[in-house]
Amino acid sequence: MTWLTFRLEMRRSRLVAFWMAVIVLAYGGIIAAMYPILQENATALEDYMKIFPEELMAAFGMTGSLVDPGVFFGTYIGSMLWPVVAAIAAIILATRPIASDVERGWADVALGTPLSRGSLLAAAVASQALVLAVLAVATVAGVLVIGRLVGADFDVGRFAAAAVVLWLFGCAVAGVTSLVGAITLSRAVAGGLAAGILIMMYLMNVVAQVQVDLAWVADFGAFKYLLTTELIDTGTVPWTSVAVFAVVAVAGWASSVVVFARRDLLA
Amino acid sequence: MVNAIELRGLTRWYGKRRGVVDLEVMVEQGEVFGFLGPNGAGKTTTIRMLLGLIRPSAGTATIWGRDAWRDAPAVHRMLAHLGSDPGYLGELTAAQTLDHVAALRGVAKGAWRPLAERLELDPTVQVKKLSRGNRQKVGVVQAFMGMEPLLVMDEPSTGLDPLMQREFLALVAEARAAGRTVFLSSHNLTEVERACDRVAIIREGRLVKIATVAALVGDHTRSMNLVLARPAAPGTFDLAGVTVLSSTGQDVHLMVQGDVNPLLRSLAGLEVRDIAISTPDVEDLFFRYYDGSVAGSEGRTAAATGSETSVEMRR
Repeated sequence: MTWLTFRLEMRRSRLVAFWMAVIVLAYGGIIAAMYPILQENATALEDYMKIFPEELMAAFGMTGSLVDPGVFFGTYIGSMLWPVVAAIAAIILATRPIASDVERGWADVALGTPLSRGSLLAAAVASQALVLAVLAVATVAGVLVIGRLVGADFDVGRFAAAAVVLWLFGCAVAGVTSLVGAITLSRAVAGGLAAGILIMMYLMNVVAQVQVDLAWVADFGAFKYLLTTELIDTGTVPWTSVAVFAVVAVAGWASSVVVFARRDLLA
Repeated sequence: MVNAIELRGLTRWYGKRRGVVDLEVMVEQGEVFGFLGPNGAGKTTTIRMLLGLIRPSAGTATIWGRDAWRDAPAVHRMLAHLGSDPGYLGELTAAQTLDHVAALRGVAKGAWRPLAERLELDPTVQVKKLSRGNRQKVGVVQAFMGMEPLLVMDEPSTGLDPLMQREFLALVAEARAAGRTVFLSSHNLTEVERACDRVAIIREGRLVKIATVAALVGDHTRSMNLVLARPAAPGTFDLAGVTVLSSTGQDVHLMVQGDVNPLLRSLAGLEVRDIAISTPDVEDLFFRYYDGSVAGSEGRTAAATGSETSVEMRR
């Protein structure tokens, strides 16, 4: 039954997965195609970047030369594309099986069969994780493949590892959103709350970078841990980030299973 | 023998808002049991507790002895459910929907096809493109496609046209003939009269009456609407078995139980412009139960098995 539900969830996710994969592939590809131009004009670009305050550049992931693959990826993908894509995908996918399906009545149909709430949600979680993995791979693949085609010296192994970090970030967002959905049973409320929390954390991260005496606020946000620059440039795995995202994702999903199992599903 | 359904002191409050209060209902195996009440009476709340979708505030709901909340997945192996407006996924076709639900229930693939043909349902159409009535047909097919011993249906014929309503009633009769138990909520007395062996009436969350259908509607109770040329004199309808439900002077709505001749004699002295006599609807019955013959608005139930159950009413 879990497999049947997983298949159905994947079927329901295919449009989201397809179009978002197209977007991240295209965006990553276009950005990667510009990488040789950045390399050729590295000196001029660095002179130009000096115009901006260091803190502001750091706030948006530009801590170093854009010619470094890690900084390049972190600036255009890690700090810009992926947070938006992961948030949208995670919120769409994670608010669907509980909040949305209870609102529309599909949960009544599915749970009117021998399918348990735990099995239903387990299948949904597995599909969320898989779709987010597809998107993370597509995001990295767009940059990596086009980058290699235009002669960029991108390391496949490090980019693959970066995809894992991106994926775990998406899973963490999905886990927390799933929990909020199980608590509120409202797609609008759960989606709004999750988006609001992410925007707030993003701003906290920016403020922490710009205002040194407020650096501590970044500790309470997810974006402090969304680190791929070092990983791509030096091969250093950000184990703290991996652990934080994995723990938040698993805790969020597990808690949502527990909450959903005890929740009254009001018509 | 264990009853198919037992509701014992079943109560549900939504904060301070009443859902249902102290329901005592026993449904025997193999019977078709109607659960009647107007919108907001608590029918859907009761069914959601039966399905383990919401938890009782007090009391228990059991299906063949198993707790509907705690043992929901196990209980659902023994029942098929149909809601009044099933929330199917619009992007799936009716066939895909039915295949999926059949697979979840362990029903043979394609077992729904003969039923779909019988109800003239086109299974190739996406659910979002189906009319309300056709969506309900998907629900009826879904409910009847398996052989679970219990069918729990919440206003199942809503949206069906008269022909399909008749087909639905035939399916219920076939289910009963096959020894299956049917729990059917409705606000349509005619449907319940045709389909059910026994009926429980619920109003404002409380059980008003449990009786056989014959006892409930076969006791010569009729609803009568009169349009008079001029208002009748006071006391005109103070007759045995006659209850005035409403009167605006010239428009009079009556309930008549038993011998109608005294009323006809009384009417003979009046100038009647129009008269309509019909089987009472549920509201009529409620008014009757809330009026003189059964006093009180707060029902407390007695044991509920057997052909007819007296319900003590208190106001």
